Amino acid sequence: MVDNKIKIQVENLGVSYGGKIALKNLSMQIPANEIFGIIGPAQSGKTTFLKAVNRTIDFVSEASVKGKILMDNEVILNADNSTPVTKLHGKGIRDLCSHRRRIGMVAPLPVGLPMTIFDNVSFAPRQSGKKKKDELVHLVERCLKQAALWDEVKDRLNTLGTKLSGGQQQRLTIARALSHEPEVLCLDEFSIAIDPVTTMRIEDVLKELQSEMTIILVTNLVQQARRLAKKTAFIFNGELVELDETEKIFSGEATDSRTNDFVSGIFG
Amino acid sequence: MSDPEQRNASRFTQTNLVRKKLFCEKIAQFVIFLMTMAMVLPLLLIVGYLIYKASPALSLDFLFDLPRRGMRDGGIWPALLGTVYLVVVSLIIAAPIGVLAAVYLNEYAKENWFTRIINLAVINLAGVPSIVHALFGLGAFVLFAGIGRSILAASLTLAVMTLPVIIASTKEALSAVPMAFREACWNMGVSRWKTIRSVVLPNSISGILTGIILQVSRAAGETAPIMFTGAVFYKAIEKGDVFAYGLLDQCMALAMHLFTISTQVPNVDEAIPFATAVVLLGTVLVVNAAAIVLRIIIRTHKKW
Repeated sequence: MVDNKIKIQVENLGVSYGGKIALKNLSMQIPANEIFGIIGPAQSGKTTFLKAVNRTIDFVSEASVKGKILMDNEVILNADNSTPVTKLHGKGIRDLCSHRRRIGMVAPLPVGLPMTIFDNVSFAPRQSGKKKKDELVHLVERCLKQAALWDEVKDRLNTLGTKLSGGQQQRLTIARALSHEPEVLCLDEFSIAIDPVTTMRIEDVLKELQSEMTIILVTNLVQQARRLAKKTAFIFNGELVELDETEKIFSGEATDSRTNDFVSGIFG
Repeated sequence: MSDPEQRNASRFTQTNLVRKKLFCEKIAQFVIFLMTMAMVLPLLLIVGYLIYKASPALSLDFLFDLPRRGMRDGGIWPALLGTVYLVVVSLIIAAPIGVLAAVYLNEYAKENWFTRIINLAVINLAGVPSIVHALFGLGAFVLFAGIGRSILAASLTLAVMTLPVIIASTKEALSAVPMAFREACWNMGVSRWKTIRSVVLPNSISGILTGIILQVSRAAGETAPIMFTGAVFYKAIEKGDVFAYGLLDQCMALAMHLFTISTQVPNVDEAIPFATAVVLLGTVLVVNAAAIVLRIIIRTHKKW
């Protein structure tokens, strides 16, 4: 294992929403250039974890966080005691917007922004200062190709993103997440609103992408994690129950009995 | 019942229950239709009666001429122009403040006692009677701020009156934009203000405009707020002159003029107040129609 560089390091992360605890004392290391699966039932804090990583938790005004997150050994979140997110600014990293651009985020439900397909994909690069037309054209083409959507939309880049079908919109969302050239791609239950065929296509895309970036795959389809992830973490009720090689998690010989029960479908 | 043909036949014969259902359906439809007519009929009657009574006096000259012979003859140009001035100036003041305040309350403000008080104040302010606004305007703008009775003071009073409703309707329009749009932008590292400017506002603009334009008819129709703050009984201006008023001049206004000629001036030809009412009604209808057209235009460009 020469290549087991750590991309994201989480130390004692805790998040609560107005007193209600969503994550407690989560510590884990996410290796670079791999697909990292996170499984767990609903309400177990998976989405909260992603929000903490890309710091959109700051927009949830009743949230409080504690703990530390490092990305490439750079502090992106640091709070010793439980701190309301409103008082977080200035602690940790300074430019939240450019930090967020290092992370691509795909939400559970497809969100085509109400603008053209081209604008959907070129929106983020333009906001970060790329304005040259030909550069943008290349970038849009590359992102749409990476998201396996290019062939379907190349003739109608000027139609509205919201006019696409659900599966296409989800791939548009992925293209948009790739448009700001992220180092980490987070997918939050990306397949719950799309059909199995599209899901398989996106999964193939992810397999290709992992050589370029770290992928965090949050899913409640345990088999999806099994198919794709190299390592898988099982989060339950805001706690990290188990983190191991995916094969181990699914072998039925996991250390914690809750993991075995969950992956074999006894609960969750 | 085992024979399928028989079963199909019985499915299409009317049983008593079906007949009763159909009867109820017809009654319900009739009653609902009647209620709609009950609402439309008086409106048509009023408008028809107004136009009928006003027809001897209505003409283009009536619009553009000055009132003559102690308002017993001539037209209503100063009042029409005054109303337009008041409405436009009050909107220029109220619309930006109202929209931006609503953006703050809906997009930035955190849920705490302070914003709760502001929201409560906005709702209550919308319910304050216009005569109270008038007295406030007289005290605050005319006397305290020393603007004097003028278009500016009257427009400020109208702006204060329309502001809470503009804030409320704008907030409504903003909160109708799905949260997912904002989150998608934030995830891409787009700042809050840029998200509002490039996604939230463009998608709520039709609702915002509707709210604003509906306030135009309210501002045009109110008499009380301008009575103490800037409107006068009579003001001589050039016939048909569009730039007759300055911001610090007093002006005539349609609603006020109607009140004056129908209660304060003896021996007015009956057609003149009716014609004035028709013009006031017409102005409001034109503005409302404009709002509807604008909304349709924007909705056809709406993207989700």
